[in-house]
Amino acid sequence: MTLTSLSIKNIGHNWLRTILTVVGTAIAILSFVLIRTTLSAWEAGVDNAAQDRLSTIHRVTFVMPLPKRYFDEFNGARGRIDGVDVATFVNWVGHKHPVRETEFFATLAVDTATYFDVYPEMSVAPDRLAAWKENRQGAIIGEALAKQFGWSLGDEVTLLGTIYPGVWKYRIEGIYVATKKSVDRAQFLTHWSYLNDSLPEGQRDMIGWVASTVTDASRAADISAAIDTKFDDQDVQTRTMSEKALTMEFLGGASAILGALDIVSLVIMGIMMLILGNTIAMGVRERTHEYGVLLALGFRPKHIATFVVGEGLTIGLLGGGLGLLISYPLVEQGMGRWLEENMGAYFPYFSIPTSVAALALGMAVVLAGVAALVPAYSASKLDVITALRRIG
Amino acid sequence: MNEDTAAASAAQSRVGKKPDTSEPTVTAKRAPIIVCRKIVRSFWRAKERLDVLDELDLDIPEGSFEALMGPSGSGKTTLLNLIAGLDRPTAGTLTVAGTEVSAMGDAALAKWRSQTIGFVFQHFNLIPVLTALENVELPLLLTSLGSSERKKRAQIALRVVGLEDRMHHRPQQLSGGQEQRVGIARAIVHDPRIIVADEPTGELDRKSADDVLTLLERLNKEFDKTILMVTHDPAAAERATVVRKLDKGKLL
Repeated sequence: MTLTSLSIKNIGHNWLRTILTVVGTAIAILSFVLIRTTLSAWEAGVDNAAQDRLSTIHRVTFVMPLPKRYFDEFNGARGRIDGVDVATFVNWVGHKHPVRETEFFATLAVDTATYFDVYPEMSVAPDRLAAWKENRQGAIIGEALAKQFGWSLGDEVTLLGTIYPGVWKYRIEGIYVATKKSVDRAQFLTHWSYLNDSLPEGQRDMIGWVASTVTDASRAADISAAIDTKFDDQDVQTRTMSEKALTMEFLGGASAILGALDIVSLVIMGIMMLILGNTIAMGVRERTHEYGVLLALGFRPKHIATFVVGEGLTIGLLGGGLGLLISYPLVEQGMGRWLEENMGAYFPYFSIPTSVAALALGMAVVLAGVAALVPAYSASKLDVITALRRIG
Repeated sequence: MNEDTAAASAAQSRVGKKPDTSEPTVTAKRAPIIVCRKIVRSFWRAKERLDVLDELDLDIPEGSFEALMGPSGSGKTTLLNLIAGLDRPTAGTLTVAGTEVSAMGDAALAKWRSQTIGFVFQHFNLIPVLTALENVELPLLLTSLGSSERKKRAQIALRVVGLEDRMHHRPQQLSGGQEQRVGIARAIVHDPRIIVADEPTGELDRKSADDVLTLLERLNKEFDKTILMVTHDPAAAERATVVRKLDKGKLL
């Protein structure tokens, strides 16, 4: 036996209370991990955005369209911008499933010739890509979306238009898989030309934004400025930014919710600390006589304080460990997979980051230690004679 | 040589003393190990001063087994606490084992206590989450001894009190008498010169009480421990070599 093991053995004084406290701590850790993983998954698009990809949107807002001819000046028929490697364009279509209307997924009309050159992290079999390019009503969908709606190659799919009203019919020509975790695995990609040709004359030849890769990521800011300068004297001005900045702008509307979730996760840890502090304080009160005995035997107040803090750290470690033990199968195997398959547009990759697991365990231990400080201080101030007189 | 005697020999040889199995020496002829001079211990209740010990003088020779008796509130436990270094006198000087404990600071007093005094409590006061062996080992955690040496000494102490076969039992798995014997093993494991016992038989039946008193006698005679025992029990006091009576803070 050592002073450390004596400190750890102290958790055995009241097993029921210890177990309940450890389980309570574990549930708090589970909640913390869930919230933090949700935040992390939400922000994965930002964190994992390509450094060498730029997005050019309408200067006022990304909701407003750009003339399609702008794209032709990137590296197309009408010109070239220095530093741009490959460019493509995308138009938000906003279709929805005719029956399962509340199940959101991104429907994008894209330039079939260039889209997968700019987004190489979306991998699709060459023969399927070729088939898609050949069929104006063809669609390539993400693997998660295919699983969500039970779609497979060759299926005829009918979607309802929202931005572009009407009934839109497509044929699934390919299914892409993501090679990076930031990729939304639930996109529905269609031909921009099919959309464009279906629109009234006055609405044609407009696109949502231009996405381009640059030859040198360190020059991204200069190239962005050059792109915007190029269109400064035209009827529609542009705003070019990194993919990361654009993703942040998309998520901007949810920032209040994310901030609130962040605070809730901290509140949970605060409550956990108070519960731990109360439990440890109860134990200290009950063992006053025992501490009196230890003091009589020659143990110093610092030993008593160390025993109390050690007990807190042990409970925190056990609770944190158990919380992670519960979290991993629940998130990695259960909830996370379900979210990826059914809400892939919001959570393309829902997995516990190592940093979140480490933070949760660290906070459980540190907060338990902090929670034990006040009871430890009280215990260290005990008068040996008074403590020996106290029974129970 | 029986097993207990062998254990005793082993225990004693560690501290460089030979077990004294002869009749007890005449304690009056030995130098006092505890010297109290005009000891006063006062407490304040509201605004009233209460002198629990009133200019008490006391010499206790080394190697004696003394019983301290008296009615409740006579100051027995207060005196025991002072001698054991748990408390300090309000006035007077108290020298125990050559050290003036009345002048020591908290830290020094705690260290001195851990080296000089063995405690036997009325309620045994074993730590319930520890085994008998671990309870006995407790005082040794404050020494520089290694783990295996601590364990070995705790085993020897348990052998001395006849509980070698119960070393892995927890207190709740022991009888009251066995618990108190573990308490005595804990009191002697660090080889203190003085053992203070506060009502050591107060919680025990007659048979267990006799066993514990026999053990204390043995520690006194064979191991030359100075024992100071507070008791209300005349049968327990009879086992001591000297019985002192205290009333209203003064020795009678």
